[in-house]
Amino acid sequence: MEWKLRPARDLGLPAGARLRSLNREPGLVGVVVNALWRRLVRVCLRVFHRLSVTGAEHLPTAPPFVLIANHASHLDALTLASVLRGRSARSARALAAGETFFGSAGAAMVAAYAINAFPVWRGRTRQGDLATLRARLAEDGLVYILFPEGTRTRDGTMARFQPGIGALVAGTDVPVVPCFLDGAFAAWPPHRRWPRPGRLRLAIGPALRFDGVANDRAGWAGVASCCESAVRALGDDPRRRGWGDDRRPPTA
Amino acid sequence: MSAWAATAFAHPVTVWIVSATAGVVVAAALVIGALSATGRASPALRRELWLRLGSWCVLLPLMIGPVLAGRVWTIGAVTALSLACYREYARATGLFREHLLSFCVVIGILAVNFAALDHWYGFFMALWPLTIGVLVVASIPLDRPAGYIQRVALAVFGYALFGAGLAHLGYMANDTGYRPIVLLLLTAVGLNDVAAFTVGKLIGGPKLLPATSPNKTISGALGAAAVTTALVAGLGWFIFQGTPIATPVWLVALGLIVAIGGQAGDLTLSSIKRDLGIKDMGVVLPGHGGILDRFNSLLLVAPSVFHFIGYFIGFGLDRPTRVITGL
Repeated sequence: MEWKLRPARDLGLPAGARLRSLNREPGLVGVVVNALWRRLVRVCLRVFHRLSVTGAEHLPTAPPFVLIANHASHLDALTLASVLRGRSARSARALAAGETFFGSAGAAMVAAYAINAFPVWRGRTRQGDLATLRARLAEDGLVYILFPEGTRTRDGTMARFQPGIGALVAGTDVPVVPCFLDGAFAAWPPHRRWPRPGRLRLAIGPALRFDGVANDRAGWAGVASCCESAVRALGDDPRRRGWGDDRRPPTA
Repeated sequence: MSAWAATAFAHPVTVWIVSATAGVVVAAALVIGALSATGRASPALRRELWLRLGSWCVLLPLMIGPVLAGRVWTIGAVTALSLACYREYARATGLFREHLLSFCVVIGILAVNFAALDHWYGFFMALWPLTIGVLVVASIPLDRPAGYIQRVALAVFGYALFGAGLAHLGYMANDTGYRPIVLLLLTAVGLNDVAAFTVGKLIGGPKLLPATSPNKTISGALGAAAVTTALVAGLGWFIFQGTPIATPVWLVALGLIVAIGGQAGDLTLSSIKRDLGIKDMGVVLPGHGGILDRFNSLLLVAPSVFHFIGYFIGFGLDRPTRVITGL
């Protein structure tokens, strides 16, 4: 028997800083709010977007792992989180744009308590932030939901993946699960204020592992490129023919 | 004067304590104001002093207001205090990661305060063994024996201190004459801290328990015990007139219980913080730290004073019981 007293990682942070901290750990209130939110999102996705999922068997049975996908709308992280169950669902943290989701106190409350998001600040991500995210992924058994393009597509085409994903997983045995979400650009493109109903299809591919990759810039670029290929392959899969095509701007 | 105010301030000790507290706050503001005006304190010290006074100006109405407002408000405030204390404790010890056990402790805290609100002494007391029984078995179905002793021990410790222990303060409100007693306890434990600090600074001398709390001195502890005992015994003389407690021996005993219980509660929290390697339990109260850093002295005082007074007089024995469940 061993006693391990581990204070909360965010102990001693003032309320506002805690909401925006990458060291935030939810308590009982956060767990309950997030559980209710996930159920609400699942119902909405089923009713308004008739979400269908293929390849769910590729999801690892337990954290830690990373879910990545193409990024077309604010529905993406919610959709990816909605396919998780049990401990994986409770451990999921969406890496979200700090400017958008943590700008005001109200937005930060929703992002932290309901969505369980971590802020990533454009152009301001420090090496220490990436190190914290990398350490917590393995130590706390988390599931990250992230979009390596870095921002939502403005025209429906998928952009190149940024190397940040590599800094989180290169040289570790944490699996990366590639996903392709189709229909999100039509449902909620960046220029629309609110989403409109529309079918969403999520394809989940086999997990990728990067334990043999060096944890340096070259390694990170390699990871990003490998992840991008896997996501593109899911999008180009012939079995997807007949899906609404997200890579073209929708005709008005 | 309205009927409510007549009830709230029916006892002269209530009037004295509320007036004295308001007087101390005004005097402190004047002193800090004078220090600022004459420039005799450094800007950092002035800022710290104003911060502390500001915290007190928020805290004191939140403490005294519910006690004056009535039974339901008092028990409600104690419930909120219990939950806030438990939250800080759970986050500091890591128990918050055990969602199921944390949930059980929260339910236990709500239940024991409900029993106080219901004025159901049997259930209030039964919740001790019942909640501990629940905490002992709750996590067994998870089939995760690793860490079982630690998580159950932390949960039982948390429930004992912040649930069952603190709830005694709320239960006192079932007595018609609770206001001066509860206000006396709130002020006495506060004064206890201040007296220990002041006497310790004035006299100095050997440390009390240097590894546990490096700033506390033996002289401070003894001085605080003398001041607090005198205050509690003195005001107790007026509160308990006509009851078996109103003898010098029992009044001094009551004062000693408050003085020793208060310092023991303080040292309990110091031990927890030292063991965890943290300085404060939180940052809710600027200048104080966490809620627990402010209210630690009440944790042991509430149940010990409750049972001391209960032995001689009892609480609310002439009041209707089971006011909710008995309907």
